[in-house]
Amino acid sequence: MSQIQPLDSVNVPAPTVEVARLRGPERERAGRRRLRVPGWLRLLLGNPKSRGGIIVLSAIIILAVIAPWIAHANPNDFSLIDSRQSPSFHHLFGTTDQGSDIFSQVMWGARSSLIIGAAAALLATVLATTLGILAAYSGGVVDDVINLITSVFLVIPTIPLLIVVSSYMHSRSGVTMVLILGLTLWGFEARILRGQALALRNRDFILSAKVAGEGTWRIIFSEFVPNMISRIAAAFVLVFYIAILTDAGLEFLGLGDMSHASWGVTMYWAQVNSSFLQGEWWPFLFPGLALALTVAALVFILAGVDEVSNPRLRKDRKRGVIRSLFVGGRGARAALDAKDPA
Amino acid sequence: MSAVAVAPDRTLDVQGLSKNFPVPGASLLHRQMLRAVDDVTFTLKQGTVTALVGESGSGKSTVARLISRLYTPTGGSILYRGVNVGAMHGKHQLLEYRSRVQMIFQDPFSSLNPVKRVDYHVSRPLLIHKIVPKADVLDRVHELLDSVGLVPAEEIAKKYPHELSGGQRQRVAIARALAVEPEVILADEPTSMLDVSIRLGILNLILDLKRDRNIAFLYVTHDLASARYVADEVLVMYAGQIVEHGPTDDVLQRPMHPYTKLLLSAVPNPEAGLHSHRLAARPKTDLAVDLVGCRFAERCPLAVASCISDPPVLLERRSHHLVRCPIIDPST
Amino acid sequence: MTGLLEDGVGPSPAVRQETLIELRELVVDYVLSGRRVRAVDHVNLDVGKGEIVGLAGESGCGKSTIANAVMQLLRAPAQVTSGQVLFHGEDLTKLSTEQLRKFRWRNVSMVFQSAMNSLNPLMRVGDQFVDMMKAHERISKNDALARAADLMETVGMDRSHVRSYPHELSGGMRQRTIVAMALTLEPELLIMDEPTTALDVVVQREILQQVQDLQRELGFAVLFITHDLSLLVEFSDRIAIMYAGEIVESAPSDELFRRPLHPYTVGLMNSFPPLSGPLERIVGIAGAPPDLAKPPSGCRFHPRCVHCDPSSHALYARQTTERPVLREVEPGHFVACHLLDTP
Repeated sequence: MSQIQPLDSVNVPAPTVEVARLRGPERERAGRRRLRVPGWLRLLLGNPKSRGGIIVLSAIIILAVIAPWIAHANPNDFSLIDSRQSPSFHHLFGTTDQGSDIFSQVMWGARSSLIIGAAAALLATVLATTLGILAAYSGGVVDDVINLITSVFLVIPTIPLLIVVSSYMHSRSGVTMVLILGLTLWGFEARILRGQALALRNRDFILSAKVAGEGTWRIIFSEFVPNMISRIAAAFVLVFYIAILTDAGLEFLGLGDMSHASWGVTMYWAQVNSSFLQGEWWPFLFPGLALALTVAALVFILAGVDEVSNPRLRKDRKRGVIRSLFVGGRGARAALDAKDPA
Repeated sequence: MSAVAVAPDRTLDVQGLSKNFPVPGASLLHRQMLRAVDDVTFTLKQGTVTALVGESGSGKSTVARLISRLYTPTGGSILYRGVNVGAMHGKHQLLEYRSRVQMIFQDPFSSLNPVKRVDYHVSRPLLIHKIVPKADVLDRVHELLDSVGLVPAEEIAKKYPHELSGGQRQRVAIARALAVEPEVILADEPTSMLDVSIRLGILNLILDLKRDRNIAFLYVTHDLASARYVADEVLVMYAGQIVEHGPTDDVLQRPMHPYTKLLLSAVPNPEAGLHSHRLAARPKTDLAVDLVGCRFAERCPLAVASCISDPPVLLERRSHHLVRCPIIDPST
Repeated sequence: MTGLLEDGVGPSPAVRQETLIELRELVVDYVLSGRRVRAVDHVNLDVGKGEIVGLAGESGCGKSTIANAVMQLLRAPAQVTSGQVLFHGEDLTKLSTEQLRKFRWRNVSMVFQSAMNSLNPLMRVGDQFVDMMKAHERISKNDALARAADLMETVGMDRSHVRSYPHELSGGMRQRTIVAMALTLEPELLIMDEPTTALDVVVQREILQQVQDLQRELGFAVLFITHDLSLLVEFSDRIAIMYAGEIVESAPSDELFRRPLHPYTVGLMNSFPPLSGPLERIVGIAGAPPDLAKPPSGCRFHPRCVHCDPSSHALYARQTTERPVLREVEPGHFVACHLLDTP
């Protein structure tokens, strides 16, 4: 359609304004100026489930950190005089058969569980992320090889492997535990992350990066990962609590490092000494409760993370912060919102 | 890349390019192939816009992706200044190619990484190819944004993609492509997902860049009117093959191939008369994979028996105007 | 106040037919986390019996919202804040769920942009017809399937495709299928919301030709919503142009094509490069459609309007503070623009 002039019977001023330049539309930055709380944390705190989880986990972490100051007794004390005492003011959680203070054991044990869990989760997540995305992005032979490796590791059952390795290795140190837990738990997350990366692979911004000349690793870590953050975070939390449980489980079976303080070890000794049969409930209850609370907290945090990554799970929470969220990358959700409703 | 004596304006030569894709869902034993691109030949010259026009499924986007090395060709070759692109394997060679041939994608919403700011997008090519020293990168980014009409550049550089409109995002994509000072830009339907009133801004920008920077553009589109507006040369594709090829005015005002005529009659054109005219073709049925004869024959109102049995060849029937149809009369 | 029809002024008698759908001062808001975004702002629109009305506008102008409002398909966070949607004079917002269920598809039906949103990928196409027919009337499965096959033929498809699954059909065929589905119960009004945007030009024309033929034969009215103004000029009787939630111009199509009055309409028409005739550099419309959460003050188009100049003080003041009112400047030709309001 060619240039059409407006009616000249109407007194229309000739166009004089040069409207040649474009300006960026104003978008407000939702609430990020008030407090320096990152978007993702805000979201997790907004969700009641993950809020509870975060609070409980934070409490446990704090207790673990201040253990040296609140638990004065050495967890490995040997004192027949004090043994088998039920909880009292002096020994908040009671004592074991050997006279060790259970409160100390639980506090120090928190450190062990949390560190091993986190380290294993870190190892597994790094492996899963790197290999999963590499497989999805490269395709072809690389994909096949990585899938094969993943399958092999998936098939290996954790506990039997740990039992076998424990019986062979002389040192049953934390490092061994972390390595084994990490290596057995990365498989299924790698599959999931690969799936998500496959969906992203043909997005134009990945192709643009390739055409611009970006190297493979740069694309994986700068383009894929920031857009998959919430799924990766979920993977981390998941492996975290599975690692804690598995670790405690192994110690309970007597396959861990029996000399250090940990929840599983406490319960192992309680089991071995048939404490429960003698009416001594405290060596079980307190470590067990600590374990249960920690795992529950992580599970709730995971629920929150899942809601962040999948907006459909979210109940409509009236918060202005929704615009600035951290769904698989800052602004991606807002980008979805920007495709306007009309 | 070793310099080869080649006419200075023949920047990119595509010769007999073909690409087959396996048909999804076909069994492993009978791997059926879909010929997405079949024997495509053309040349991109500096300072010109070549339009590749066709419907979806015609293979036009695939051609662009083959040239940008996102796919590897099944047959034929791509020559950049006389050097076979397919034979480039060294990282250095590949990188150099990428600094000469750039691409713009169709969807302004997904061609930018949502978690990175505009300055990141435009600076990456500068850093990868070491176009300017690190200290000067930000200045160059602002210059580039300015040159595509995004002002104030300093403000826009700090924004995230979701804070920009579709047209602005496309301009960022163009700025990014321009960062390496390319000789060839492959634009894959750059305006089809933009609002109508914004499209012209991008088209005019392409015209300016062609003129000011002597860039060779490949403009892939299904919109004939925009092809007419920007292009010097038009190639019409159907079912993976080029069916007509010539200067814009020749092809669009005096089309020879029945498919080109069909396309032209189908475009809404109120100026040509306010009453819609009926199409003279039968509706399209599923495309058979391994046709021997003319692929348009089943829909063509002029088809005869030989059209189905003999594969038609692309021939120059008028001066500089090629068509793949043996039965039309070029003088009409 | 805004976009109001002047009192006592309606479509001229020559144009008025029996009115099917009337939108009266319709206001639709999207309420998100306490913020209210007005997608449709006091819109008045009529569709007469057998009339083809085109609604043109770019993204974010509210045209799809209007389509959904007519079908009463608006879901939270969208809500009809005020105004009426009248069908044969009856207010649709007052109907019960059951009445609405009968109303939809029988009186008014809709064709969406993406057929895959309307078709169940797990069912054969014929069965989906049957489901729909059985939901509205008593009919045996065989009769329903026969009807379905007939309908497929009327939209130019082979009868045998009744047994196909949606994924076995091409994009154009799927779109034809949903047109056939929409016409099954012979509605009085067919709403088409960007029905051919994702399709090729050739398929688009074929489908629209088919719809035109059927429209002439069956006499239903059409509300055709699209951003492609050139398409509307060819296919509709009347065109309304929407911008930022308001109707800024409305006229019979040839009148609109020959004499567009609103600067936005003029700009839109200048955004289509010509396929024939002289080729010269043309400029679209500078700027971008506004963010409906924070629309410009006064006339919503003023930031992009070439006739908005701060140096003409009085006019500029009006353009930036007062919302223009939709007035009939010629018989049947309505425009909302300060430039045409002789003070």
